[in-house]
Amino acid sequence: MIEIRQLQKHYGSHRVLHGVDLDVAKGEVVCLIGPSGSGKSTLLRCINALEAYDGGVITVFGETVQRGSKTVHALRSRMGMVFQRFNLFPHRTVLENVMEGPLYVKGEPPQQVREEALVLLEKVGLSAKADAYPEQLSGGQQQRVAIARALAMKPDAMLFDEPTSALDPELVGDVLAVMRTLADEGMTMIVVTHEMGFAREVADRVCFLHGGYIVESGPAEEVLGNPQHARTQDFLRRVLHPTGNTRSLS
Amino acid sequence: MSPAEFLQNAQDFLPILLQGAWVTIQITVLSFLLSSAIGLVLALLKLSPIRALSWTASTIINVIRGLPIIVQLFYIYFVLPDMGVHLTAFYAGVIGMGIAYSAYQAENFRTGIIAVEQGQREAAEALGMRSALMMRRVILPQAFRIALPPYGNTLVMMLKDSSLVSTITVAEMTRQGQLIASSTFQNMTVYTLVALLYLLMSLPLVYGLRRMEQHLSRRKKA
Repeated sequence: MIEIRQLQKHYGSHRVLHGVDLDVAKGEVVCLIGPSGSGKSTLLRCINALEAYDGGVITVFGETVQRGSKTVHALRSRMGMVFQRFNLFPHRTVLENVMEGPLYVKGEPPQQVREEALVLLEKVGLSAKADAYPEQLSGGQQQRVAIARALAMKPDAMLFDEPTSALDPELVGDVLAVMRTLADEGMTMIVVTHEMGFAREVADRVCFLHGGYIVESGPAEEVLGNPQHARTQDFLRRVLHPTGNTRSLS
Repeated sequence: MSPAEFLQNAQDFLPILLQGAWVTIQITVLSFLLSSAIGLVLALLKLSPIRALSWTASTIINVIRGLPIIVQLFYIYFVLPDMGVHLTAFYAGVIGMGIAYSAYQAENFRTGIIAVEQGQREAAEALGMRSALMMRRVILPQAFRIALPPYGNTLVMMLKDSSLVSTITVAEMTRQGQLIASSTFQNMTVYTLVALLYLLMSLPLVYGLRRMEQHLSRRKKA
């Protein structure tokens, strides 16, 4: 469904991605993990052409993706994207945020869009907030609305860019629960995350990125439980034991 | 001059001045709408990634800003007829003020558009929006809120500067005042009334705009 071949990306002389290969099949959940600056968010943003890339090729649903190409709008409307900072439209209510895509991008009839939006809000547990404005919601609630907004387009795949990184710890669980439900329903998902518990339980595959390369990739229990590469081992040690292990900091 | 005399004169002059005030309001509203429309187009052109368009818009904005408003009004009212374009004084005034202020409106809008968070553009793009739809549904509504204080300021300035169209014979309030004063020599009464009537229009406007800004910023923080 999503094929990435030898993807290269640089900002000026700084190379962010050095030839990344990744295939994601329909219904598969892939988690991208790695330290900040490893290129995992850039990789995700290239997939729906929020970033242009400099070498290699990305194919989604059989079509080449590149920023500025004619087919990019149609491709994006088939891929949902959830951002670290939610990016809800602050001047519209929760319900209007969810209705925005199907109503104005797809031009579907308002009554049907409204009914489907309410069903989605129910699904993310926020029916009661339909008429609230985003700023009246907690971060976790906003992120669940953002997920509903993306789902309203009936996407064939969902991209998550560190969806819980901007949340207070006690709000992370609700968002992960919604994502877990999606995975269980068979949604194709690529998730950039620091939530190792989520990756271990939900991901079919985990890719560890470092310095613009996929260093290690495989089933979640293998990569997270028995990492082969020294960099993966070091990263996981730091993430799983953020205090006390001074040796790995040197 | 006794207060009784002042009131007697005021009673005679007010109906004429109020007629003028109505023309002032018409000129202000129409030229404000025109300047908003031209200003928005100029702002969008100036932000265009196409070099030729942004350069053209910048040049137009700079030329307009570099010319005195009165000269622009004279040009439209006195010179255009030589080229076969005949406008009544009223419409020459509206068009002149509208063009003269479009440069400032363009800067108001441009600043507002730039200030909308990058994440909003990305969210709109990720939904599959094309740039026109994104502008209309996502960027401009938010840019307008950001630009409201300078936008409102411009409206107040245009209300006051509409007096400039008196120089091309439009019978707005300042012009009516001038005519009465020159025929009655009651300068003090006339211009005091004119000043009071301007304040009567501008102060509620300033107050109303502030309320609107407060309302919007409260909503944002709530």
